[in-house]
Amino acid sequence: MQLKRINKAFVVTIGISVVLFVYLVFLGYNEIKTAKDVIKIIASILFPLPMLFFARFILIEHFLPENTDEYKKQNQKPATLLLVITMIVALLTMQGVEWLTQVKLEDHLIFAHLVNSTTISSYVLNFIIYNNLRFNGILSGILLSLAIHVFFLSI
Amino acid sequence: MSNSIFSQVKPTNNSNKREWLFSIQSVIVVGLLAFTTLAFFFYNGLPVIKGIKVVFAPFLSVVPLLFILSILRDLRKGFIEGDYSKKEIIKFCMITIAITIAFTGITNLLAQIGALEILLAAIMAILSIVFFIKSKIKDILGMSIITGIAEGIIVYMIFLF
Repeated sequence: MQLKRINKAFVVTIGISVVLFVYLVFLGYNEIKTAKDVIKIIASILFPLPMLFFARFILIEHFLPENTDEYKKQNQKPATLLLVITMIVALLTMQGVEWLTQVKLEDHLIFAHLVNSTTISSYVLNFIIYNNLRFNGILSGILLSLAIHVFFLSI
Repeated sequence: MSNSIFSQVKPTNNSNKREWLFSIQSVIVVGLLAFTTLAFFFYNGLPVIKGIKVVFAPFLSVVPLLFILSILRDLRKGFIEGDYSKKEIIKFCMITIAITIAFTGITNLLAQIGALEILLAAIMAILSIVFFIKSKIKDILGMSIITGIAEGIIVYMIFLF
Protein backbone atom coordinates (compact mmCIF):
# COMPACT_ATOMS: atom_id res chain seq x y z
CA MET A 1 0.00 0.00 0.00
CA GLN A 2 2.70 2.42 1.11
CA LEU A 3 4.89 1.72 -1.92
CA LYS A 4 1.94 2.13 -4.23
CA ARG A 5 1.25 5.57 -2.79
CA ILE A 6 4.91 6.54 -3.18
CA ASN A 7 4.85 5.51 -6.82
CA LYS A 8 1.72 7.54 -7.38
CA ALA A 9 3.33 10.59 -5.78
CA PHE A 10 6.37 10.28 -8.01
CA VAL A 11 4.28 10.01 -11.16
CA VAL A 12 2.09 12.95 -10.16
CA THR A 13 5.11 15.12 -9.35
CA ILE A 14 6.88 14.34 -12.59
CA GLY A 15 3.64 15.03 -14.46
CA ILE A 16 3.24 18.43 -12.78
CA SER A 17 6.85 19.38 -13.51
CA VAL A 18 6.56 18.40 -17.15
CA VAL A 19 3.32 20.32 -17.63
CA LEU A 20 4.75 23.43 -15.92
CA PHE A 21 7.93 23.14 -17.96
CA VAL A 22 6.11 22.87 -21.28
CA TYR A 23 3.76 25.68 -20.36
CA LEU A 24 6.49 28.08 -19.26
CA VAL A 25 8.93 27.31 -22.01
CA PHE A 26 6.73 27.08 -25.06
CA LEU A 27 3.54 28.97 -24.29
CA GLY A 28 3.92 31.36 -21.41
CA TYR A 29 6.93 33.52 -22.08
CA ASN A 30 8.46 34.97 -25.14
CA GLU A 31 11.67 36.02 -23.42
CA ILE A 32 13.12 32.62 -24.16
CA LYS A 33 14.96 33.36 -27.34
CA THR A 34 18.20 31.48 -27.41
CA ALA A 35 19.23 27.91 -26.78
CA LYS A 36 21.11 29.22 -23.75
CA ASP A 37 17.86 30.07 -21.93
CA VAL A 38 16.50 26.60 -22.57
CA ILE A 39 19.71 25.02 -21.26
CA LYS A 40 19.51 27.14 -18.12
CA ILE A 41 15.89 26.20 -17.54
CA ILE A 42 16.59 22.49 -18.03
CA ALA A 43 19.49 22.78 -15.58
CA SER A 44 17.37 24.54 -12.97
CA ILE A 45 14.71 21.87 -13.26
CA LEU A 46 17.31 19.13 -12.84
CA PHE A 47 18.95 20.93 -9.91
CA PRO A 48 17.17 19.15 -7.03
CA LEU A 49 17.33 15.65 -8.50
CA PRO A 50 20.87 14.63 -7.43
CA MET A 51 20.28 16.16 -4.01
CA LEU A 52 17.05 14.23 -3.69
CA PHE A 53 18.82 10.97 -4.44
CA PHE A 54 21.66 11.85 -2.06
CA ALA A 55 19.23 12.62 0.75
CA ARG A 56 17.37 9.40 0.06
CA PHE A 57 20.68 7.53 0.11
CA ILE A 58 21.55 8.82 3.58
CA LEU A 59 18.07 8.64 5.06
CA ILE A 60 17.38 5.14 3.91
CA GLU A 61 15.08 4.11 6.74
CA HIS A 62 11.43 4.97 6.55
CA PHE A 63 10.41 7.27 9.35
CA LEU A 64 6.82 7.22 8.29
CA PRO A 65 4.55 8.15 11.14
CA GLU A 66 1.29 6.26 10.93
CA ASN A 67 -1.02 8.46 8.94
CA THR A 68 -3.87 7.87 11.35
CA ASP A 69 -6.90 10.04 11.88
CA GLU A 70 -5.50 11.07 15.25
CA TYR A 71 -2.21 12.24 13.76
CA LYS A 72 -4.06 14.20 11.11
CA LYS A 73 -6.39 15.76 13.64
CA GLN A 74 -3.52 16.72 15.89
CA ASN A 75 -1.62 18.47 13.10
CA GLN A 76 -4.49 20.03 11.17
CA LYS A 77 -4.42 23.38 12.89
CA PRO A 78 -0.66 24.03 13.00
CA ALA A 79 -0.27 22.84 9.42
CA THR A 80 -2.99 25.17 8.13
CA LEU A 81 -1.57 28.03 10.15
CA LEU A 82 1.90 27.40 8.72
CA LEU A 83 0.45 27.27 5.20
CA VAL A 84 -1.16 30.69 5.56
CA ILE A 85 1.84 32.27 7.29
CA THR A 86 4.34 30.91 4.76
CA MET A 87 2.16 32.03 1.88
CA ILE A 88 1.89 35.60 3.18
CA VAL A 89 5.58 35.81 4.12
CA ALA A 90 6.74 34.43 0.77
CA LEU A 91 4.41 36.74 -1.17
CA LEU A 92 5.58 39.77 0.80
CA THR A 93 9.22 38.76 0.34
CA MET A 94 8.84 38.39 -3.41
CA GLN A 95 6.99 41.69 -3.72
CA GLY A 96 9.58 43.37 -1.49
CA VAL A 97 12.51 42.04 -3.48
CA GLU A 98 10.87 43.08 -6.75
CA TRP A 99 10.17 46.54 -5.36
CA LEU A 100 13.64 46.97 -3.92
CA THR A 101 15.61 45.80 -6.94
CA GLN A 102 13.10 46.96 -9.57
CA VAL A 103 13.58 43.64 -11.32
CA LYS A 104 10.67 41.44 -12.32
CA LEU A 105 10.68 37.77 -11.49
CA GLU A 106 9.57 37.03 -15.04
CA ASP A 107 12.83 38.45 -16.34
CA HIS A 108 14.68 35.93 -14.21
CA LEU A 109 12.65 32.84 -14.88
CA ILE A 110 15.53 30.67 -13.76
CA PHE A 111 14.90 31.57 -10.14
CA ALA A 112 11.21 30.79 -10.42
CA HIS A 113 12.06 27.39 -11.87
CA LEU A 114 14.69 26.80 -9.23
CA VAL A 115 12.32 27.53 -6.35
CA ASN A 116 9.55 25.59 -8.05
CA SER A 117 11.46 22.41 -8.78
CA THR A 118 13.28 22.39 -5.45
CA THR A 119 10.04 22.79 -3.56
CA ILE A 120 8.27 20.10 -5.55
CA SER A 121 11.14 17.70 -4.95
CA SER A 122 11.21 18.36 -1.22
CA TYR A 123 7.48 17.82 -1.31
CA VAL A 124 7.94 14.34 -2.70
CA LEU A 125 10.81 13.61 -0.32
CA ASN A 126 8.68 14.70 2.62
CA PHE A 127 5.84 12.56 1.37
CA ILE A 128 8.06 9.50 1.04
CA ILE A 129 10.16 9.67 4.17
CA TYR A 130 8.68 11.87 6.82
CA ASN A 131 5.03 12.46 6.03
CA ASN A 132 5.38 15.51 8.23
CA LEU A 133 2.17 17.50 7.94
CA ARG A 134 3.63 20.77 9.24
CA PHE A 135 6.47 20.69 6.75
CA ASN A 136 3.85 19.89 4.12
CA GLY A 137 2.08 23.13 5.09
CA ILE A 138 5.25 25.20 4.63
CA LEU A 139 6.05 23.69 1.22
CA SER A 140 2.47 24.09 0.03
CA GLY A 141 2.64 27.73 1.15
CA ILE A 142 5.77 28.40 -0.92
CA LEU A 143 4.33 26.74 -4.03
CA LEU A 144 1.00 28.54 -3.68
CA SER A 145 2.60 31.94 -3.20
CA LEU A 146 4.82 31.41 -6.24
CA ALA A 147 1.76 30.49 -8.30
CA ILE A 148 -0.24 33.48 -7.01
CA HIS A 149 2.67 35.80 -7.65
CA VAL A 150 3.18 34.64 -11.22
CA PHE A 151 -0.48 34.39 -12.18
CA PHE A 152 -2.11 37.34 -10.43
CA LEU A 153 0.31 39.90 -9.06
CA SER A 154 2.62 40.44 -12.01
CA ILE A 155 1.20 42.07 -15.08
CA MET B 1 -0.49 -9.63 -4.44
CA SER B 2 0.78 -6.47 -6.08
CA ASN B 3 3.23 -6.04 -3.26
CA SER B 4 4.89 -9.38 -3.93
CA ILE B 5 5.32 -8.55 -7.60
CA PHE B 6 6.72 -5.18 -6.66
CA SER B 7 9.27 -6.56 -4.24
CA GLN B 8 10.71 -8.77 -6.96
CA VAL B 9 11.39 -5.76 -9.14
CA LYS B 10 12.58 -3.38 -6.44
CA PRO B 11 15.46 -4.11 -4.07
CA THR B 12 14.32 -5.16 -0.64
CA ASN B 13 17.05 -4.53 1.91
CA ASN B 14 18.73 -1.25 2.64
CA SER B 15 22.14 -1.87 1.10
CA ASN B 16 20.48 -3.00 -2.12
CA LYS B 17 18.33 0.13 -2.07
CA ARG B 18 21.45 2.23 -1.62
CA GLU B 19 23.14 0.47 -4.52
CA TRP B 20 20.08 1.14 -6.65
CA LEU B 21 20.09 4.85 -5.77
CA PHE B 22 23.83 4.97 -6.46
CA SER B 23 23.29 3.48 -9.92
CA ILE B 24 20.55 5.98 -10.72
CA GLN B 25 22.76 8.82 -9.56
CA SER B 26 25.57 7.69 -11.86
CA VAL B 27 23.14 7.45 -14.77
CA ILE B 28 22.11 11.05 -14.03
CA VAL B 29 25.75 12.15 -14.03
CA VAL B 30 26.42 10.44 -17.35
CA GLY B 31 23.33 12.14 -18.80
CA LEU B 32 24.48 15.50 -17.48
CA LEU B 33 27.93 15.06 -19.01
CA ALA B 34 26.37 14.24 -22.39
CA PHE B 35 24.13 17.29 -21.96
CA THR B 36 27.19 19.45 -21.21
CA THR B 37 28.99 18.22 -24.32
CA LEU B 38 26.00 18.94 -26.54
CA ALA B 39 25.40 22.34 -24.94
CA PHE B 40 28.99 23.49 -25.37
CA PHE B 41 29.24 21.97 -28.84
CA PHE B 42 26.15 23.65 -30.24
CA TYR B 43 26.30 26.89 -28.33
CA ASN B 44 29.99 27.63 -28.80
CA GLY B 45 30.01 26.18 -32.32
CA LEU B 46 33.15 24.16 -31.70
CA PRO B 47 35.15 23.30 -34.82
CA VAL B 48 36.89 20.01 -35.44
CA ILE B 49 40.50 20.90 -36.07
CA LYS B 50 41.97 17.46 -36.59
CA GLY B 51 39.52 14.66 -37.34
CA ILE B 52 41.92 11.88 -36.39
CA LYS B 53 42.11 13.24 -32.85
CA VAL B 54 38.33 12.81 -32.39
CA VAL B 55 38.70 9.09 -33.05
CA PHE B 56 41.51 8.68 -30.56
CA ALA B 57 40.20 11.02 -27.84
CA PRO B 58 38.32 8.29 -25.90
CA PHE B 59 41.34 5.94 -25.80
CA LEU B 60 43.32 8.41 -23.71
CA SER B 61 41.20 7.70 -20.65
CA VAL B 62 39.30 4.51 -21.46
CA VAL B 63 42.40 2.34 -21.86
CA PRO B 64 43.93 3.26 -18.47
CA LEU B 65 40.48 2.86 -16.89
CA LEU B 66 40.02 -0.67 -18.19
CA PHE B 67 43.52 -1.57 -17.09
CA ILE B 68 43.04 -0.19 -13.59
CA LEU B 69 39.62 -1.81 -13.24
CA SER B 70 41.06 -5.18 -14.19
CA ILE B 71 43.96 -5.16 -11.71
CA LEU B 72 42.44 -3.35 -8.72
CA ARG B 73 40.35 -4.92 -6.01
CA ASP B 74 37.33 -3.14 -4.53
CA LEU B 75 38.45 -0.20 -2.45
CA ARG B 76 35.44 -0.06 -0.18
CA LYS B 77 33.35 -2.61 1.61
CA GLY B 78 30.10 -1.62 -0.02
CA PHE B 79 26.88 -0.16 1.21
CA ILE B 80 25.99 -0.47 4.86
CA GLU B 81 22.66 -1.75 6.05
CA GLY B 82 21.96 0.63 8.91
CA ASP B 83 21.89 4.39 9.36
CA TYR B 84 24.78 6.81 9.19
CA SER B 85 25.73 8.77 12.26
CA LYS B 86 25.19 12.51 12.44
CA LYS B 87 28.94 13.16 12.28
CA GLU B 88 29.30 11.09 9.10
CA ILE B 89 26.32 12.82 7.49
CA ILE B 90 27.80 16.26 8.16
CA LYS B 91 31.23 15.16 6.93
CA PHE B 92 29.92 13.75 3.66
CA CYS B 93 27.63 16.73 3.05
CA MET B 94 30.73 18.92 3.39
CA ILE B 95 32.59 16.73 0.89
CA THR B 96 29.64 17.01 -1.50
CA ILE B 97 29.60 20.81 -1.22
CA ALA B 98 33.38 21.01 -1.75
CA ILE B 99 33.19 18.82 -4.86
CA THR B 100 30.24 20.87 -6.13
CA ILE B 101 32.34 24.02 -5.92
CA ALA B 102 35.34 22.28 -7.50
CA PHE B 103 33.25 20.96 -10.36
CA THR B 104 31.66 24.33 -11.02
CA GLY B 105 35.22 25.50 -11.64
CA ILE B 106 36.09 22.48 -13.77
CA THR B 107 32.99 22.99 -15.93
CA ASN B 108 34.05 26.60 -16.29
CA LEU B 109 37.40 25.36 -17.61
CA LEU B 110 35.58 23.01 -20.01
CA ALA B 111 33.69 26.02 -21.37
CA GLN B 112 36.99 27.68 -22.33
CA ILE B 113 37.95 24.78 -24.59
CA GLY B 114 37.96 25.79 -28.25
CA ALA B 115 37.99 22.51 -30.16
CA LEU B 116 35.67 19.52 -30.14
CA GLU B 117 38.36 16.86 -29.86
CA ILE B 118 39.82 18.37 -26.68
CA LEU B 119 36.35 18.73 -25.16
CA LEU B 120 35.60 15.09 -26.00
CA ALA B 121 38.84 13.94 -24.40
CA ALA B 122 38.11 15.94 -21.24
CA ILE B 123 34.54 14.66 -20.98
CA MET B 124 35.72 11.08 -21.53
CA ALA B 125 38.26 11.52 -18.75
CA ILE B 126 35.52 12.67 -16.35
CA LEU B 127 33.28 9.81 -17.50
CA SER B 128 36.07 7.36 -16.78
CA ILE B 129 36.42 8.77 -13.27
CA VAL B 130 32.67 8.33 -12.79
CA PHE B 131 32.82 4.70 -13.96
CA PHE B 132 35.79 4.07 -11.71
CA ILE B 133 33.88 5.39 -8.70
CA LYS B 134 30.79 3.49 -9.77
CA SER B 135 32.58 0.16 -9.88
CA LYS B 136 35.27 0.46 -7.18
CA ILE B 137 34.20 3.01 -4.57
CA LYS B 138 30.78 1.67 -3.72
CA ASP B 139 30.23 3.68 -0.62
CA ILE B 140 28.79 6.90 0.72
CA LEU B 141 32.06 8.54 -0.36
CA GLY B 142 31.43 7.52 -3.96
CA MET B 143 27.85 8.76 -3.68
CA SER B 144 28.95 12.17 -2.40
CA ILE B 145 31.56 12.54 -5.13
CA ILE B 146 29.05 11.67 -7.85
CA THR B 147 26.42 13.98 -6.36
CA GLY B 148 29.02 16.75 -6.21
CA ILE B 149 29.91 16.29 -9.88
CA ALA B 150 26.24 16.43 -10.90
CA GLU B 151 25.46 19.50 -8.81
CA GLY B 152 28.62 21.28 -9.97
CA ILE B 153 27.63 20.92 -13.62
CA ILE B 154 24.08 22.08 -12.90
CA VAL B 155 25.20 25.08 -10.83
CA TYR B 156 27.52 26.16 -13.63
CA MET B 157 24.75 25.82 -16.22
CA ILE B 158 22.30 27.84 -14.15
CA PHE B 159 24.41 30.69 -12.91
CA LEU B 160 27.54 31.05 -15.05
CA PHE B 161 26.76 29.73 -18.53
